[in-house]
Amino acid sequence: MTGGRELSRVALGAAIMLCGVAPLCAGDRELGEYLSSECVTCHQISGRYDGIPPIVGWPETDFVQALGEYRDKSRDNAVMRSIAVKFTDEEIAALASYFGSIGPHAEKSQR
Amino acid sequence: MTLLSRRKFSAGLVAGLVAMPGVLRAQAKPRLVVIGGGPGGATVAKYVAKDSQGAIDVTLIEPLEKFTTCFHSNLVLGGLRSLESTTHAYKLDAYGVKQVRQVAAAIDRDKKQVRLADGSLVAYDRLVVSPGIDIKFESVPGYSEAVSEIMPHAWKPGPQMQLLKKQLDALQDGATIVMLAPPNPYRCPPGPYERASCMAHVLKAKGHTRSKIVIIDPKDRFSKMAVFQEGWQKHYPGMIEWMDPKMHGGVKSIDAKAMTVTTDFETIKADLVNVIPAQMAGKIARDAGLTNQTGYCPIDAANMRSAIDPNIYVLGDASIAGAMPKSAFAANSQAKVVAMAVRGELAGSRTFPARYANTCWSVIQTDDTIKVGGRYEPKEGAIAEVEGFVSKPGEDAGVRMQTTEENMGWYAGIVADIFA
Repeated sequence: MTGGRELSRVALGAAIMLCGVAPLCAGDRELGEYLSSECVTCHQISGRYDGIPPIVGWPETDFVQALGEYRDKSRDNAVMRSIAVKFTDEEIAALASYFGSIGPHAEKSQR
Repeated sequence: MTLLSRRKFSAGLVAGLVAMPGVLRAQAKPRLVVIGGGPGGATVAKYVAKDSQGAIDVTLIEPLEKFTTCFHSNLVLGGLRSLESTTHAYKLDAYGVKQVRQVAAAIDRDKKQVRLADGSLVAYDRLVVSPGIDIKFESVPGYSEAVSEIMPHAWKPGPQMQLLKKQLDALQDGATIVMLAPPNPYRCPPGPYERASCMAHVLKAKGHTRSKIVIIDPKDRFSKMAVFQEGWQKHYPGMIEWMDPKMHGGVKSIDAKAMTVTTDFETIKADLVNVIPAQMAGKIARDAGLTNQTGYCPIDAANMRSAIDPNIYVLGDASIAGAMPKSAFAANSQAKVVAMAVRGELAGSRTFPARYANTCWSVIQTDDTIKVGGRYEPKEGAIAEVEGFVSKPGEDAGVRMQTTEENMGWYAGIVADIFA
């Protein structure tokens, strides 16, 4: 648990460094939630895998890194590159924060 | 009345009054009504209900108990998945969506009411119209709804698709299939060509390599053309012939009794004719005056609000969504923008700039799937593409296999996002 908290603290720091606007970056759950609606067309919110990798419950640093790599086209997938290309650092941080905050079985509690 | 009882009465009255504002609030809740439970409408209903957490009263008008998706219907045709696996029950009541299982008969825009087939009225503060497309039967000389029972269009889910599958499965080796492809704009731009691929897959699997599919197209190019044609050459050599307008000069007539299609240059005798005519926005949108001369509904690119009525949003295949194709993915993406805009208007929640996306996967052969897609934003009054991609000829089998998995994963994802 401590490790996890440690990780998210690191992620928070990274996010703040990335965009410099702390409240918007790390805490903007509403923005993250809106942006996430685009992701869950393919990546199931339940965390279920049917051919497209789940993205809920990731450490925020990993999430920020992966989307960053799609954005700079160093990671390969045409759909993800096209999705990520226009994301700002703030938006990526908001998404990392949102998806990081829901576990693989959070779907029911959201209803 | 004694003092005591009067006091009791007053206390009761006060208690009642205390309780009443809740009731009044409930009655005064802003009302969103959604017409059409496809990928556009059902997604709006779900997201508004889920995210407004009871602050907005959401009613979905959709007669079907279960929805069979048009997307992946070609895979059903090709025997790559079952009809049942593409049929989904609505589970939106879990979010507070009230589903009215009736056909919406008319919209009274002045009174802000929807009239149902049984004559009852549903009042709205904001209305979402997502009826999909209707077929323009008269756009093909000799075609009609009656003729579609012999020469199916199968461009809507349900009996038409089942008829086409039955006809396809009954063909003998050496059969000729003629497909009349539609003019732009129409539902699912790569759909006719994925369908030809899936039909060829069925024929090839049965060893019917003498059979052929002739596509008579009013367009001189089509979605993912280079990769489709490469795939046809690779998997179905000599089986699929695509004719652009220069090669046929236009369809002059079709004859359902003789099973012939006559173009400017020749008469082709066929064993199966799949006529995919031109299309237009669903009837209710046309009747309500929400369409323009194109037959589709003009919208504000920023949020899919009707350019004709500010109390109405139109999305999905019925809308004029600029560079976005008419696809389930696009409708689902537009729905999230609409849901955000509606919550902003009716519940005062935060709104953000619209982001739109689309990807269309198409199956050429079991392990060979291609894709096209992009990101879109409002620009100078229209929805414009800001980033796009398309599968390339010559991609290796591993990439196509991965795209196949992605396609199946997307289907599972989007139907969970829409219906569950």
